[in-house]
Amino acid sequence: MASISATAKSIPTRPRHSLQAVNGIFGLKSVSISSLRRSFPSIRLQPTPMRFRVCCAAKPETVQKVCDIVKKQLALAEDIAITGESKFSTLGADSLDTVEIVMGLEEAFNISVEEESAQNISTVQDAADLIETLVAAKSG
Amino acid sequence: MLPLHSNSLARRPFASPLPLPPASLPSPRETHIWYVVPDELKDASLLYQYMELLSPCERQSVLRMNGERLQKGALLARALVRTTLARYTDGRLSPKSFKFQKNRFGKPEVEWDKYDLWAPPPLQFNISHTSTMIACGVTLDLPIGIDIEEKQRKTSNNILSLAHRYFSPVEVAYLKTLADPECRQSEFIRLWTLKEAYVKALGRGFSGTPFKDFTIRLEASNSKQVTGELKSDAPSIVVEAVDDPGILMNRWQFALFELNNSHYTAVCMERDVKNPADGENNSLKLEVWRTLPFVEDECVTETDAVKNIIR
Repeated sequence: MASISATAKSIPTRPRHSLQAVNGIFGLKSVSISSLRRSFPSIRLQPTPMRFRVCCAAKPETVQKVCDIVKKQLALAEDIAITGESKFSTLGADSLDTVEIVMGLEEAFNISVEEESAQNISTVQDAADLIETLVAAKSG
Repeated sequence: MLPLHSNSLARRPFASPLPLPPASLPSPRETHIWYVVPDELKDASLLYQYMELLSPCERQSVLRMNGERLQKGALLARALVRTTLARYTDGRLSPKSFKFQKNRFGKPEVEWDKYDLWAPPPLQFNISHTSTMIACGVTLDLPIGIDIEEKQRKTSNNILSLAHRYFSPVEVAYLKTLADPECRQSEFIRLWTLKEAYVKALGRGFSGTPFKDFTIRLEASNSKQVTGELKSDAPSIVVEAVDDPGILMNRWQFALFELNNSHYTAVCMERDVKNPADGENNSLKLEVWRTLPFVEDECVTETDAVKNIIR
């Protein structure tokens, strides 16, 4: 459970709400979601199962580039870690964010993504794998 | 910043939440909207009260969100859905007792238990959120979709690029007529919320109802539609299939308005054909409440918080 406290360290800056003195999470001095977790011991966070991939996973550089585009589109705070396993839904992407991310990826990698393929992307890794498939198809 | 020592939190006795004031059921043409502004939550103990309402599965989902802000939003969203629905059960169901399932396309709906001496109201709901507001729409037995977007939302991509890619030709043409970039920006966002609300009302998911396949626009007044009904004087929002222009999908009605001076809000509701309208006003009716569940409810329907309504 060591990871819980990691999320409590820094507070994302939100310029619109600079009036609130953010002394604690949500501007409240004493309570955070992470302390809620301790009060509800029945919650065990299941690790996201690793998915068995038959095909080769995308190169780390591709994954990193996708992470950068996603992070920029969602305006995520610096301390929010994104990896290949990160799900777009848990990063707070809504449908407009998702289409913007797809368009951003198309531009960055010079590819074209079909609607059906876009709907099947739920993690950063999915996006990176799809990109490499499309890039390979273009040049192959 | 250090959280309170965990032992004190675990043992902290908190009072049962105050009962939610009961609400009258929506009438056949009505959508009820309850919205929460996360920044108004200043009392830490409320987070506990809300967390208590959730199923273990929902709690896990909340905690899986990436970062405190998103976790708080997810928690409030579930608390809003549960408390809102409970209001319409005349005190018989607590927020905690609700169970949810997904239709075969993944749209969440209530899973009602069977009761011997009482039939629960056939409520349908839909929620939408941004980082600064969460809204829940409720109807009686009619499919509903709701979408909210911050008025100030900026897109990373060029508006016309997005529109060319995702909107219908009629919608793109409309956006092109708007020379002022800010006007074009806000019309894009408003049109997006309408299209999103329609897809959510249909409940078939983004891929089941591709944005490009339908047009949402204003229909001029005094025109007869497929049903032969004469519309009232104001232009109304209509939807038609791109492949079948001119055949309006009259089954669906819309409302578009500004909420809390901060958000464009679109509601799409199936038209109630079981209860034909008496008189000429068959447009979608709205009742809107600002809420902080267990703390405060305020009906804002006739106030400045709900304005510039187009139906």
